[in-house]
Amino acid sequence: MGPSPAVHRLAVSRSSVLTSAAIDVEFLDLIDAVQSVADGVLFGATYALLGIGFTLVFGVMHKINLSYAAASIGAAYASLLILAVIKAPPILVFLMAAAAGGVAGGLVYLIGFKFIPFANPLATLMSTVGLLLLIDEIIVHTTAGVPLNYPALYSDVIVRVGAFNLRGDLMFIFALCCVCMVALLLLLYRTRLGLATRAVSQQPTASELCGISITRVNVLTFVITGVVGGVAGAMTGAAIGILSPLLSLPLTVKGLIVTVVGGLGSIPGAIMAGLVVGGLENLFQFFRGVSERDLYIMLLLFVFLVFRPGGFFAMPAGRD
Amino acid sequence: MDFYLGLLQIIGVHTILGLSAYCVLLTGQVSLAQAGFFAIGAYVAGMLTVLAQWPVIPALGASAVVAGAIACAVGFPALRVKGLMLVVATIAFGEAVRLFFFNFTYQVQAGHLMLGPHGAEGFRQIRYFPEHGWTTLDVMLFIWAVVALVMAAIWWLDRSRAGAVLRAVGEDEFAAQSSGINITAVKVSAMTIGGVIAGIGGGIFAHYTTHIEHVQFGVVLATFAVAYPILGGLSSVFGTLLAVIFIQGFLIEGLRFMGDWRNLLFGALIVLAMNVRPRGLLDAGTVLALKRLIVSRKD
Amino acid sequence: MVLDLQGLTKHFGGVRAVDGIDLHVARSEILGLIGPNGSGKSTIINLICGLFPLTAGRVVFDGADISNQPTHARVTLGIARTFQNIRLFGQLTVWQNLWVAQNSGEQRNQNFFWRWLGGSRGAREEIDRTLELFGLSHKRDELAGNLAFGEQRRLEFARALSAKPTLLLLDEPAAGMNAEEIDELDIRIRNLRRDGITVLLIEHHVELVMSVADRIAVLNFGQKIAEGTPIAVQADPEVRAAYLGTAAAA
Repeated sequence: MGPSPAVHRLAVSRSSVLTSAAIDVEFLDLIDAVQSVADGVLFGATYALLGIGFTLVFGVMHKINLSYAAASIGAAYASLLILAVIKAPPILVFLMAAAAGGVAGGLVYLIGFKFIPFANPLATLMSTVGLLLLIDEIIVHTTAGVPLNYPALYSDVIVRVGAFNLRGDLMFIFALCCVCMVALLLLLYRTRLGLATRAVSQQPTASELCGISITRVNVLTFVITGVVGGVAGAMTGAAIGILSPLLSLPLTVKGLIVTVVGGLGSIPGAIMAGLVVGGLENLFQFFRGVSERDLYIMLLLFVFLVFRPGGFFAMPAGRD
Repeated sequence: MDFYLGLLQIIGVHTILGLSAYCVLLTGQVSLAQAGFFAIGAYVAGMLTVLAQWPVIPALGASAVVAGAIACAVGFPALRVKGLMLVVATIAFGEAVRLFFFNFTYQVQAGHLMLGPHGAEGFRQIRYFPEHGWTTLDVMLFIWAVVALVMAAIWWLDRSRAGAVLRAVGEDEFAAQSSGINITAVKVSAMTIGGVIAGIGGGIFAHYTTHIEHVQFGVVLATFAVAYPILGGLSSVFGTLLAVIFIQGFLIEGLRFMGDWRNLLFGALIVLAMNVRPRGLLDAGTVLALKRLIVSRKD
Repeated sequence: MVLDLQGLTKHFGGVRAVDGIDLHVARSEILGLIGPNGSGKSTIINLICGLFPLTAGRVVFDGADISNQPTHARVTLGIARTFQNIRLFGQLTVWQNLWVAQNSGEQRNQNFFWRWLGGSRGAREEIDRTLELFGLSHKRDELAGNLAFGEQRRLEFARALSAKPTLLLLDEPAAGMNAEEIDELDIRIRNLRRDGITVLLIEHHVELVMSVADRIAVLNFGQKIAEGTPIAVQADPEVRAAYLGTAAAA
């Protein structure tokens, strides 16, 4: 006679518990990975904003402003000045960053772009490199190189969705970035200024003949992208919690990657690419750790460029 | 005295780096990958002299070949991306190389020491020069002999039809194609030559600093590499040399007395220079004028 | 037949720039190609040179199908062109502009690197001769970008000839020229025929085309609407309609 039916049933149920425990561990890993990606995508909204700034300037002037990320971080630093004067709520600090970004944008145009001949992209490239170094040094000088704390909103809020935790501060950052993007798209496609900007990007000489002042459009483009950059800088500070001059170089590289992957000149592309890069960055970090994470991003970019040089949404090729 | 010799060494090596970017820039490709080829040259030459006991000149030759081969391989996909996208692609490549060496460890026991590259810590004890009795002066002269050689080679190339062909491709690819120029071959060749030169420079760099690590080969070095030829003007190799002397000699060393303000001035000066003289210190007009001056002096 | 275009087609997205063109040019002939703006004339030149990939059709040169050859190879085979808006190498000297385009018989046999260094005595003398022929010797060491407009046009022409072509494609060479310069151009084009070079001439300047061309083909909206001697084409009602509108043709 074999084991009693009761014992048999116990044995069966224990083994099924063990199996489901094994599945649970794999399931947990998967959840962690997805959690990582989700966090990354939310943070990727800041990359998207940076990408938009790079791509918009490229679209209008056909030049890259390499100092953009540094100016954005600089604007975030500038917004901290307001805290030195009054105990302002974070929202005010963020707004101040946006305003500082706009001012910085106008200045960058004046000293880095306006007086250099249009047909000399190398000189503009170098001048923006000079501006990048200059802005970094100004930051280091005024803060003695010490990282500063940056305010964040909803950092103690955690929203549970099923098995996932969504950080409140990241969600706010994501939401604010989305508001910024929508506002920019409205500006570009529903206002006369936006129309003028798009005209200048396609045919500068003809636009001038139609009475559009190229200088005005360029200045406004830089100011607007500066505002967007200020928001991006502030949100980066809010997400990480601190600001440091060491941020500008990696952010420049990430911003450029996003711009190129999305397609130079394409705003929807930059948005998509920003979220993708944010998510992938965290995914690589989850699987291979921080030290190898960036290596894979770089290789991915290189491969991407070889097989799809136009990015997600390349600008359509013209007849000439 | 050693201080000035050291400064001359830095200027020499940076000139080689700048010249590697010069060739590529002539064809209109803005490549921020030169620091990557430089790094490859440094690690290859270092490993050959330290781990395989090679003499330094064959080691430099090997680093030139390896860096050149990788540059050639990079040159082909680089054809598919134009203009500013190439800037990003080469930044990505350079960073990938740096991150590779950040994670690269290959060590060999030698007595009580472990020799060889060691990940984030870098590659220490590249002591070929001291072990073989080279003084600082010897090293400096060696570096400048190489600089002179490379400059002479490029100067000669510039005067030949190849130089005009490179510049024609850089100026207008459609017109160059329609004039019978194989732009694929030209652009990849330029990238390869740039890689070879950068590899040699990197190999020398590894030996005179005796300790290399990934941080040194980042975006900043890559930017310096193209900054020298752009600031110096693409019309003559001497422009690059002048730019290196000016930046490394005058700005970085000469203004040391200014302390921290020196770095601020650096960025501001670049911006000013590009606004005032967009084509660089020695632009085409200046070079022609100088040539005429020299010719008229001879008469 | 030097050049035979068979069913040449090029679409840019929805735009049919060139739509099934059949055209041939006989040896030492001067074929004029005219048509309203946007009719596809420049596109045809770009297709013959290989600057644009074909959507359909074949380009046959000297009996060989060159449709898949890269541009520089076609130049070595003997096709050269000028550009409608001058595309000189402005940062190179006049002499260097001719030097890079040089494609002498001896060079065709040299391998890639030797051509790069290209400095034989004979080659240099040839360039000097070309400069003299085009009245540019005195500007030998001047940057091409600093030349006057007329000189630039002459240099563009000279550069195309430096490639020693059997077929020369001229894209609106008379644009922006005054009457004197056009007369000079007329003579130069006739001299080409004397030297055995075949010419495909795109021009808006009707008098020049009528004077110089052996045959004329007319394009409109990417299609060939007429072909024949200058006089026959002038009288063709469809041609008049294309240029002047249907009322005038009636």
